[in-house]
Amino acid sequence: MLTAIETKIPDQLLQQAQDMVNEGWMINIDTLIIEAVRRYVESHQQILTERFIREDIEWGLHGKD
Amino acid sequence: MAKTNTIVIADAGPIIHLDELDSLALLAGFEKVIIPETVCHEVQQHRPFALSHPKIKFIRQRADSFSAQVNALIPIYTLHSGEQEALHLCCEVSNSLLLTDDTAARLAAKSLNIAVHGTLGVLLRAIRQQLLSKSQVIDLLQSIPSQTTLHIRPSLLQEVIAEVIKMK
Repeated sequence: MLTAIETKIPDQLLQQAQDMVNEGWMINIDTLIIEAVRRYVESHQQILTERFIREDIEWGLHGKD
Repeated sequence: MAKTNTIVIADAGPIIHLDELDSLALLAGFEKVIIPETVCHEVQQHRPFALSHPKIKFIRQRADSFSAQVNALIPIYTLHSGEQEALHLCCEVSNSLLLTDDTAARLAAKSLNIAVHGTLGVLLRAIRQQLLSKSQVIDLLQSIPSQTTLHIRPSLLQEVIAEVIKMK
């Protein structure tokens, strides 16, 4: 199932995405955006992001260097 | 300000976020700050003047060699070109610290035993290094949602601020 959403995107970023589509890297802009969101969600799992932020707190406040 | 001998190799995120907070000078406390060529291009697209900061000499550098270990991790973590080059450079440069806010790049760095931290770490370190006061850092932390493109859950940001407040 697919749901249509409306959002705003910076012109330059949209142009870069459109260029990739025009050059044949993606079938269309919809596919490119789905792929971008999928990759972001996969690589930014909340539990990991939080763990890394807690490591930053420890290093920042109590580290050696 | 006493410099540490740590050599920073920066991904685009922390450079952009520190510039958004007008806090790039905090990087002056490191021995060197290396910006991979690919990262330079990315930063210049978003923050054209960030790399011309008067207090920091950013060293633009390309990776001379390409680590097979890094190459193996690229598809696993879908690393971008800037992250790839930064990791290759970390493998070349001893005593390096990768600065990145990207979770996937941090995971890749950890699997290569590369020291890695992000923008928040640099801000908090400024208190320990006596570069900024606690209240200055709290002000910066509070301005993250409105002034930067660094995304952090509000309640977690409040936890970070609470940690700073309770720090002796």
